Amino acid sequence: MSGIDTAIFVKQPSRTAAYLDWLQMLTGAGLIIFMWCHMILVASVNISPNVMNTIAHFFEATYMAQVGGPLIGLTLLAHFILAARKIPYTSAEQGAIWRHAKMLRHTDTWLWVIQAITAMVILVMGSIHIWTVLTDLPITAAKSAARIQGGFWLVFYLILLPCVELHVGIGFYRIMVKWGIVKRSGRKGFHRFENIWTGVFILIGLITIIRFATLAIS
Amino acid sequence: MSRQLKFNIFRYNPQDPDSVPHTDTFLLEETPSLTLFIALNKIREEQDPSLQFDFACRMAICGSCGMVINGRPGLACKTLTEELPEEITLMPLPVFELVGDLSVDTGSWFRTTNTKIESWIHTDKEFDPNAIEERMENDLANAIFELERCIECGCCVAACGTANMRDDFIGAFALNRIARFMLDPRDERSENDYFDVVGTDQGVFGCMGLLACEDVCPREIPLQDQLGILRRKMGFIGLKNIFKPKAKAVG
Repeated sequence: MSGIDTAIFVKQPSRTAAYLDWLQMLTGAGLIIFMWCHMILVASVNISPNVMNTIAHFFEATYMAQVGGPLIGLTLLAHFILAARKIPYTSAEQGAIWRHAKMLRHTDTWLWVIQAITAMVILVMGSIHIWTVLTDLPITAAKSAARIQGGFWLVFYLILLPCVELHVGIGFYRIMVKWGIVKRSGRKGFHRFENIWTGVFILIGLITIIRFATLAIS
Repeated sequence: MSRQLKFNIFRYNPQDPDSVPHTDTFLLEETPSLTLFIALNKIREEQDPSLQFDFACRMAICGSCGMVINGRPGLACKTLTEELPEEITLMPLPVFELVGDLSVDTGSWFRTTNTKIESWIHTDKEFDPNAIEERMENDLANAIFELERCIECGCCVAACGTANMRDDFIGAFALNRIARFMLDPRDERSENDYFDVVGTDQGVFGCMGLLACEDVCPREIPLQDQLGILRRKMGFIGLKNIFKPKAKAVG
Protein backbone atom coordinates (compact mmCIF):
# COMPACT_ATOMS: atom_id res chain seq x y z
CA MET A 1 0.00 0.00 0.00
CA SER A 2 1.43 3.33 -0.98
CA GLY A 3 0.79 6.67 0.67
CA ILE A 4 1.59 5.59 4.19
CA ASP A 5 3.37 8.37 6.08
CA THR A 6 6.45 6.54 7.26
CA ALA A 7 7.37 9.49 9.46
CA ILE A 8 5.04 8.01 12.06
CA PHE A 9 7.37 5.06 12.43
CA VAL A 10 10.72 6.50 11.41
CA LYS A 11 11.41 10.13 12.30
CA GLN A 12 12.14 12.14 9.16
CA PRO A 13 14.41 15.17 9.22
CA SER A 14 12.24 18.26 9.29
CA ARG A 15 12.78 21.96 8.60
CA THR A 16 9.66 23.02 10.50
CA ALA A 17 11.47 24.19 13.63
CA ALA A 18 13.64 26.55 11.55
CA TYR A 19 10.67 28.03 9.66
CA LEU A 20 8.67 28.53 12.84
CA ASP A 21 11.61 30.22 14.58
CA TRP A 22 12.07 32.59 11.63
CA LEU A 23 8.36 33.38 11.62
CA GLN A 24 8.29 33.95 15.37
CA MET A 25 11.16 36.41 15.05
CA LEU A 26 9.84 38.13 11.91
CA THR A 27 6.28 38.58 13.22
CA GLY A 28 7.80 39.91 16.46
CA ALA A 29 10.11 42.30 14.64
CA GLY A 30 7.20 43.46 12.44
CA LEU A 31 5.05 44.17 15.47
CA ILE A 32 7.92 46.05 17.17
CA ILE A 33 8.24 48.33 14.12
CA PHE A 34 4.48 48.73 14.04
CA MET A 35 4.40 49.71 17.73
CA TRP A 36 7.04 52.38 17.15
CA CYS A 37 5.00 53.80 14.24
CA HIS A 38 1.87 53.52 16.40
CA MET A 39 3.60 55.63 19.04
CA ILE A 40 4.43 58.28 16.46
CA LEU A 41 0.78 58.50 15.42
CA VAL A 42 -0.71 58.57 18.91
CA ALA A 43 1.94 60.79 20.51
CA SER A 44 1.53 63.33 17.71
CA VAL A 45 -1.52 64.54 19.64
CA ASN A 46 0.95 66.13 22.04
CA ILE A 47 2.07 68.41 19.23
CA SER A 48 -1.50 69.17 18.26
CA PRO A 49 -4.72 67.20 17.67
CA ASN A 50 -4.63 68.43 14.08
CA VAL A 51 -1.29 66.72 13.45
CA MET A 52 -2.73 63.45 14.77
CA ASN A 53 -5.86 63.87 12.65
CA THR A 54 -3.74 64.51 9.56
CA ILE A 55 -1.62 61.39 10.11
CA ALA A 56 -4.74 59.33 10.87
CA HIS A 57 -6.38 60.66 7.73
CA PHE A 58 -3.34 59.62 5.72
CA PHE A 59 -3.73 56.02 6.96
CA GLU A 60 -7.42 56.19 6.15
CA ALA A 61 -7.01 57.64 2.66
CA THR A 62 -4.35 55.11 1.71
CA TYR A 63 -6.50 52.26 3.16
CA MET A 64 -3.63 51.36 5.47
CA ALA A 65 -5.99 51.44 8.44
CA GLN A 66 -8.73 49.39 6.79
CA VAL A 67 -6.40 46.75 5.34
CA GLY A 68 -3.28 47.09 7.51
CA GLY A 69 -5.27 47.19 10.75
CA PRO A 70 -6.78 43.69 10.42
CA LEU A 71 -3.41 42.45 9.12
CA ILE A 72 -1.75 43.71 12.30
CA GLY A 73 -4.45 41.87 14.26
CA LEU A 74 -3.67 38.67 12.36
CA THR A 75 0.07 39.17 12.86
CA LEU A 76 -0.52 39.57 16.59
CA LEU A 77 -2.45 36.29 16.62
CA ALA A 78 0.19 34.52 14.51
CA HIS A 79 2.96 35.82 16.75
CA PHE A 80 1.07 34.58 19.79
CA ILE A 81 0.63 31.08 18.35
CA LEU A 82 4.29 30.91 17.27
CA ALA A 83 5.72 32.22 20.53
CA ALA A 84 3.30 30.17 22.64
CA ARG A 85 5.30 27.11 21.60
CA LYS A 86 7.87 28.27 24.14
CA ILE A 87 5.45 29.25 26.89
CA PRO A 88 4.92 26.61 29.57
CA TYR A 89 1.36 25.34 29.60
CA THR A 90 1.45 22.42 32.00
CA SER A 91 1.49 23.27 35.69
CA ALA A 92 4.65 21.18 36.06
CA GLU A 93 6.50 23.35 33.52
CA GLN A 94 5.10 26.56 34.96
CA GLY A 95 6.21 25.51 38.43
CA ALA A 96 9.65 24.57 37.10
CA ILE A 97 10.32 27.94 35.44
CA TRP A 98 8.90 29.87 38.41
CA ARG A 99 11.05 28.06 40.97
CA HIS A 100 14.00 28.35 38.60
CA ALA A 101 13.60 32.11 38.18
CA LYS A 102 13.25 32.59 41.95
CA MET A 103 16.36 30.51 42.60
CA LEU A 104 18.56 32.08 39.93
CA ARG A 105 17.73 35.78 40.53
CA HIS A 106 18.92 36.44 36.99
CA THR A 107 17.67 39.56 35.20
CA ASP A 108 17.25 38.07 31.73
CA THR A 109 15.37 35.08 33.11
CA TRP A 110 12.96 37.36 35.00
CA LEU A 111 12.57 39.50 31.88
CA TRP A 112 11.43 36.39 30.04
CA VAL A 113 8.83 35.67 32.74
CA ILE A 114 7.60 39.27 32.34
CA GLN A 115 7.53 38.79 28.58
CA ALA A 116 5.39 35.66 28.92
CA ILE A 117 2.94 37.27 31.37
CA THR A 118 2.57 40.54 29.43
CA ALA A 119 2.01 38.42 26.30
CA MET A 120 -1.24 37.10 27.78
CA VAL A 121 -2.38 40.59 28.79
CA ILE A 122 -1.60 41.94 25.31
CA LEU A 123 -3.34 39.03 23.59
CA VAL A 124 -6.62 39.85 25.34
CA MET A 125 -6.43 43.63 25.80
CA GLY A 126 -4.64 44.27 22.50
CA SER A 127 -7.34 42.37 20.64
CA ILE A 128 -10.07 44.35 22.40
CA HIS A 129 -8.25 47.59 21.55
CA ILE A 130 -7.80 46.66 17.88
CA TRP A 131 -11.45 45.65 17.59
CA THR A 132 -12.68 48.84 19.25
CA VAL A 133 -10.57 51.12 17.07
CA LEU A 134 -11.12 49.36 13.75
CA THR A 135 -14.90 49.08 14.16
CA ASP A 136 -15.07 52.81 14.77
CA LEU A 137 -12.98 54.31 11.97
CA PRO A 138 -11.79 56.96 11.21
CA ILE A 139 -9.33 57.51 14.02
CA THR A 140 -9.54 61.06 15.33
CA ALA A 141 -8.03 62.80 18.32
CA ALA A 142 -11.50 63.77 19.54
CA LYS A 143 -12.78 60.18 19.49
CA SER A 144 -9.69 58.88 21.27
CA ALA A 145 -9.99 61.62 23.88
CA ALA A 146 -13.70 60.87 24.41
CA ARG A 147 -12.89 57.21 24.96
CA ILE A 148 -10.22 57.96 27.56
CA GLN A 149 -12.38 60.52 29.31
CA GLY A 150 -15.05 57.86 29.81
CA GLY A 151 -12.90 56.49 32.64
CA PHE A 152 -12.99 52.77 31.79
CA TRP A 153 -10.61 53.12 28.88
CA LEU A 154 -8.26 55.27 30.95
CA VAL A 155 -7.69 52.35 33.33
CA PHE A 156 -7.59 49.95 30.37
CA TYR A 157 -4.76 51.85 28.66
CA LEU A 158 -2.87 52.45 31.91
CA ILE A 159 -2.58 48.65 32.12
CA LEU A 160 -2.05 47.94 28.43
CA LEU A 161 0.59 50.65 27.82
CA PRO A 162 3.31 49.39 30.20
CA CYS A 163 2.59 45.77 29.21
CA VAL A 164 3.08 46.54 25.52
CA GLU A 165 6.18 48.67 26.03
CA LEU A 166 7.81 46.09 28.31
CA HIS A 167 6.99 43.27 25.90
CA VAL A 168 8.25 45.23 22.89
CA GLY A 169 11.41 46.37 24.69
CA ILE A 170 12.31 42.95 26.06
CA GLY A 171 11.39 41.33 22.75
CA PHE A 172 13.68 43.69 20.84
CA TYR A 173 16.56 42.96 23.22
CA ARG A 174 15.87 39.21 23.04
CA ILE A 175 15.85 39.12 19.21
CA MET A 176 19.14 41.00 19.06
CA VAL A 177 20.98 38.69 21.48
CA LYS A 178 19.28 35.47 20.35
CA TRP A 179 20.17 35.94 16.71
CA GLY A 180 23.69 37.05 17.52
CA ILE A 181 23.32 40.62 16.25
CA VAL A 182 24.35 42.00 19.63
CA LYS A 183 27.49 40.16 20.74
CA ARG A 184 28.85 39.48 24.22
CA SER A 185 30.83 42.72 24.18
CA GLY A 186 27.77 44.80 23.31
CA ARG A 187 25.19 43.11 25.52
CA LYS A 188 25.51 45.23 28.65
CA GLY A 189 25.38 48.49 26.73
CA PHE A 190 22.47 47.36 24.61
CA HIS A 191 20.61 46.22 27.73
CA ARG A 192 20.98 49.68 29.23
CA PHE A 193 19.96 51.35 25.98
CA GLU A 194 16.88 49.14 25.81
CA ASN A 195 15.89 49.97 29.43
CA ILE A 196 16.12 53.69 28.74
CA TRP A 197 14.31 53.30 25.42
CA THR A 198 11.45 51.40 27.11
CA GLY A 199 11.29 53.94 29.93
CA VAL A 200 11.10 56.84 27.49
CA PHE A 201 8.31 55.12 25.53
CA ILE A 202 6.28 54.46 28.68
CA LEU A 203 6.77 58.12 29.63
CA ILE A 204 5.67 59.39 26.21
CA GLY A 205 2.70 57.01 26.41
CA LEU A 206 1.69 58.34 29.83
CA ILE A 207 2.01 61.96 28.68
CA THR A 208 -0.16 61.06 25.69
CA ILE A 209 -2.82 59.45 27.89
CA ILE A 210 -2.85 62.57 30.11
CA ARG A 211 -3.14 64.74 26.98
CA PHE A 212 -6.16 62.73 25.81
CA ALA A 213 -7.69 62.84 29.28
CA THR A 214 -7.44 66.63 29.37
CA LEU A 215 -8.18 67.39 25.71
CA ALA A 216 -11.19 69.63 25.28
CA ILE A 217 -13.61 67.85 22.99
CA SER A 218 -15.40 70.30 20.78
CA MET B 1 38.64 39.84 62.33
CA SER B 2 37.62 36.79 60.38
CA ARG B 3 33.97 36.18 59.64
CA GLN B 4 31.89 33.36 61.02
CA LEU B 5 30.32 31.74 57.96
CA LYS B 6 26.94 30.07 58.08
CA PHE B 7 26.41 27.30 55.54
CA ASN B 8 22.93 26.05 54.71
CA ILE B 9 23.49 22.81 52.85
CA PHE B 10 20.90 20.66 51.12
CA ARG B 11 20.77 17.15 52.53
CA TYR B 12 18.99 14.17 51.03
CA ASN B 13 19.96 10.63 50.26
CA PRO B 14 17.65 9.11 47.63
CA GLN B 15 19.06 5.64 48.43
CA ASP B 16 17.80 5.82 52.00
CA PRO B 17 14.01 5.42 52.33
CA ASP B 18 14.09 7.23 55.68
CA SER B 19 15.90 10.26 54.29
CA VAL B 20 13.86 13.44 53.92
CA PRO B 21 15.08 16.44 51.87
CA HIS B 22 16.10 19.24 54.24
CA THR B 23 18.92 21.70 54.84
CA ASP B 24 21.56 21.40 57.56
CA THR B 25 23.36 24.40 58.98
CA PHE B 26 27.10 24.42 59.62
CA LEU B 27 29.23 27.17 61.09
CA LEU B 28 32.80 27.72 59.96
CA GLU B 29 35.36 30.39 60.63
CA GLU B 30 36.57 32.08 57.48
CA THR B 31 40.27 31.76 56.70
CA PRO B 32 42.22 33.72 54.05
CA SER B 33 41.64 32.56 50.44
CA LEU B 34 39.00 30.07 51.57
CA THR B 35 37.22 28.41 48.66
CA LEU B 36 33.93 26.55 48.96
CA PHE B 37 35.83 23.40 48.06
CA ILE B 38 38.11 23.78 51.09
CA ALA B 39 35.20 24.83 53.29
CA LEU B 40 33.17 21.74 52.34
CA ASN B 41 36.13 19.46 53.03
CA LYS B 42 36.61 21.10 56.42
CA ILE B 43 32.96 20.64 57.27
CA ARG B 44 33.13 17.00 56.21
CA GLU B 45 36.31 16.35 58.19
CA GLU B 46 35.41 18.25 61.31
CA GLN B 47 31.63 18.30 61.55
CA ASP B 48 29.78 15.73 59.44
CA PRO B 49 31.56 12.88 57.64
CA SER B 50 28.31 11.84 55.90
CA LEU B 51 28.19 15.01 53.76
CA GLN B 52 28.25 14.10 50.06
CA PHE B 53 29.78 16.31 47.38
CA ASP B 54 32.03 15.77 44.37
CA PHE B 55 35.46 17.10 43.59
CA ALA B 56 38.64 15.90 41.95
CA CYS B 57 41.00 18.56 40.66
CA ARG B 58 40.26 21.63 42.87
CA MET B 59 41.37 23.91 40.00
CA ALA B 60 38.33 24.29 37.68
CA ILE B 61 39.48 21.63 35.23
CA CYS B 62 37.51 18.50 36.12
CA GLY B 63 34.03 20.00 36.34
CA SER B 64 32.97 17.80 39.27
CA CYS B 65 32.14 20.37 41.92
CA GLY B 66 29.34 22.25 40.15
CA MET B 67 26.60 23.24 42.62
CA VAL B 68 24.07 25.99 43.20
CA ILE B 69 25.76 28.66 45.30
CA ASN B 70 23.31 31.19 46.73
CA GLY B 71 21.01 30.51 43.81
CA ARG B 72 23.63 30.52 41.05
CA PRO B 73 25.25 27.44 39.53
CA GLY B 74 29.04 27.60 39.86
CA LEU B 75 32.15 25.63 40.76
CA ALA B 76 32.87 25.19 44.47
CA CYS B 77 36.63 25.13 43.85
CA LYS B 78 36.57 28.40 41.92
CA THR B 79 34.39 30.30 44.38
CA LEU B 80 36.06 32.22 47.17
CA THR B 81 33.96 32.70 50.29
CA GLU B 82 35.13 36.33 50.47
CA GLU B 83 33.04 36.97 47.35
CA LEU B 84 29.96 35.74 49.21
CA PRO B 85 27.90 37.05 52.14
CA GLU B 86 28.23 35.44 55.57
CA GLU B 87 25.30 33.15 54.94
CA ILE B 88 25.95 30.69 52.11
CA THR B 89 23.29 28.34 50.78
CA LEU B 90 24.47 25.34 48.77
CA MET B 91 22.12 23.22 46.68
CA PRO B 92 22.78 20.45 44.16
CA LEU B 93 22.53 21.30 40.44
CA PRO B 94 18.97 20.86 39.16
CA VAL B 95 18.15 18.95 35.92
CA PHE B 96 20.71 16.22 36.76
CA GLU B 97 19.90 13.15 38.79
CA LEU B 98 20.68 13.53 42.47
CA VAL B 99 23.22 11.11 43.91
CA GLY B 100 22.99 12.56 47.41
CA ASP B 101 23.31 15.94 49.14
CA LEU B 102 25.35 18.15 46.75
CA SER B 103 26.45 15.32 44.49
CA VAL B 104 24.66 14.88 41.14
CA ASP B 105 25.19 12.52 38.24
CA THR B 106 26.25 14.81 35.41
CA GLY B 107 28.06 11.95 33.67
CA SER B 108 24.96 10.09 32.47
CA TRP B 109 23.40 13.30 31.17
CA PHE B 110 26.51 14.30 29.23
CA ARG B 111 26.99 10.77 27.91
CA THR B 112 23.42 10.67 26.61
CA THR B 113 23.60 14.16 25.12
CA ASN B 114 27.00 13.58 23.51
CA THR B 115 25.63 10.42 21.90
CA LYS B 116 22.54 12.29 20.73
CA ILE B 117 24.55 15.01 18.97
CA GLU B 118 27.23 12.55 17.81
CA SER B 119 29.93 14.49 19.55
CA TRP B 120 32.94 13.14 17.74
CA ILE B 121 34.85 13.78 14.49
CA HIS B 122 33.06 12.08 11.61
CA THR B 123 35.52 11.07 8.94
CA ASP B 124 35.95 8.36 6.34
CA LYS B 125 39.72 8.72 6.42
CA GLU B 126 41.50 5.69 7.71
CA PHE B 127 43.63 6.53 10.74
CA ASP B 128 47.32 6.02 10.19
CA PRO B 129 49.16 5.98 13.52
CA ASN B 130 52.51 6.44 11.78
CA ALA B 131 51.55 9.49 9.74
CA ILE B 132 52.56 12.98 10.80
CA GLU B 133 49.69 14.86 12.38
CA GLU B 134 47.74 17.03 9.94
CA ARG B 135 48.56 20.70 10.13
CA MET B 136 46.08 23.40 10.97
CA GLU B 137 46.24 27.21 10.87
CA ASN B 138 46.99 28.61 14.29
CA ASP B 139 43.96 30.94 14.28
CA LEU B 140 41.66 28.04 13.51
CA ALA B 141 43.24 25.86 16.17
CA ASN B 142 42.76 28.67 18.68
CA ALA B 143 39.13 29.18 17.64
CA ILE B 144 38.43 25.47 18.12
CA PHE B 145 40.28 25.43 21.43
CA GLU B 146 38.25 28.38 22.69
CA LEU B 147 35.10 26.20 22.46
CA GLU B 148 36.91 23.01 23.44
CA ARG B 149 37.63 24.48 26.89
CA CYS B 150 34.25 23.23 28.18
CA ILE B 151 34.71 20.98 31.22
CA GLU B 152 31.16 19.55 31.24
CA CYS B 153 30.45 20.83 34.73
CA GLY B 154 26.74 21.22 33.95
CA CYS B 155 26.37 24.81 35.22
CA CYS B 156 24.97 26.06 31.88
CA VAL B 157 22.37 23.30 31.84
CA ALA B 158 21.37 23.85 35.47
CA ALA B 159 21.01 27.60 34.82
CA CYS B 160 18.91 27.10 31.68
CA GLY B 161 15.21 27.89 31.95
CA THR B 162 14.39 25.69 28.98
CA ALA B 163 16.38 22.70 30.29
CA ASN B 164 14.62 23.07 33.65
CA MET B 165 11.23 22.95 31.90
CA ARG B 166 11.90 20.38 29.20
CA ASP B 167 13.89 17.19 29.64
CA ASP B 168 14.76 16.81 25.97
CA PHE B 169 16.48 20.19 25.47
CA ILE B 170 20.17 19.62 24.72
CA GLY B 171 21.37 22.86 26.28
CA ALA B 172 24.17 25.37 25.64
CA PHE B 173 26.81 22.71 26.25
CA ALA B 174 25.72 20.61 23.27
CA LEU B 175 25.17 23.60 20.99
CA ASN B 176 28.66 24.87 21.79
CA ARG B 177 29.97 21.37 21.15
CA ILE B 178 28.38 21.26 17.68
CA ALA B 179 29.72 24.77 16.96
CA ARG B 180 33.16 23.37 17.76
CA PHE B 181 32.82 20.49 15.27
CA MET B 182 31.46 22.83 12.60
CA LEU B 183 34.73 24.78 12.83
CA ASP B 184 36.85 21.63 12.56
CA PRO B 185 37.87 20.81 8.96
CA ARG B 186 38.56 17.19 9.99
CA ASP B 187 34.86 16.61 10.62
CA GLU B 188 33.34 15.72 7.26
CA ARG B 189 29.73 16.20 8.27
CA SER B 190 27.71 18.36 5.86
CA GLU B 191 25.72 21.36 7.03
CA ASN B 192 22.56 19.28 6.59
CA ASP B 193 23.98 16.64 8.91
CA TYR B 194 24.52 19.30 11.56
CA PHE B 195 21.05 20.68 10.92
CA ASP B 196 19.50 17.28 11.54
CA VAL B 197 21.22 17.16 14.91
CA VAL B 198 20.60 20.67 16.25
CA GLY B 199 18.10 22.34 13.88
CA THR B 200 15.18 21.31 16.05
CA ASP B 201 13.08 22.57 18.94
CA GLN B 202 15.17 20.33 21.19
CA GLY B 203 18.26 21.98 19.71
CA VAL B 204 19.10 25.57 18.86
CA PHE B 205 15.51 26.60 18.09
CA GLY B 206 14.44 25.51 21.56
CA CYS B 207 16.79 28.08 23.09
CA MET B 208 14.76 31.02 24.39
CA GLY B 209 17.75 33.32 24.76
CA LEU B 210 17.63 33.81 28.53
CA LEU B 211 21.44 33.73 28.51
CA ALA B 212 21.86 32.41 32.05
CA CYS B 213 24.28 29.88 30.52
CA GLU B 214 26.45 32.75 29.32
CA ASP B 215 26.31 34.40 32.73
CA VAL B 216 27.20 31.37 34.86
CA CYS B 217 29.76 29.51 32.71
CA PRO B 218 32.81 29.15 34.99
CA ARG B 219 35.03 28.89 31.91
CA GLU B 220 33.52 31.99 30.36
CA ILE B 221 33.03 30.24 27.05
CA PRO B 222 31.37 32.72 24.64
CA LEU B 223 28.02 30.90 24.70
CA GLN B 224 25.91 33.93 23.77
CA ASP B 225 27.94 34.46 20.59
CA GLN B 226 28.04 30.77 19.70
CA LEU B 227 24.29 30.31 20.22
CA GLY B 228 23.63 33.39 18.07
CA ILE B 229 25.92 32.24 15.28
CA LEU B 230 24.45 28.74 15.38
CA ARG B 231 20.85 30.00 15.29
CA ARG B 232 21.63 32.13 12.24
CA LYS B 233 23.52 29.34 10.48
CA MET B 234 20.82 26.75 11.16
CA GLY B 235 18.13 29.26 10.25
CA PHE B 236 19.70 29.86 6.85
CA ILE B 237 20.36 26.16 6.22
CA GLY B 238 16.66 25.61 6.96
CA LEU B 239 15.66 28.31 4.47
CA LYS B 240 17.99 27.03 1.76
CA ASN B 241 15.88 23.97 1.24
CA ILE B 242 12.54 25.70 1.43
CA PHE B 243 11.63 24.93 -2.20
CA LYS B 244 13.17 21.49 -2.24
CA PRO B 245 10.63 18.68 -2.18
CA LYS B 246 10.84 16.60 0.96
CA ALA B 247 12.57 13.26 0.51
CA LYS B 248 10.02 10.56 1.09
CA ALA B 249 10.56 6.92 1.79
CA VAL B 250 9.40 4.73 -1.06
CA GLY B 251 6.27 2.90 0.04
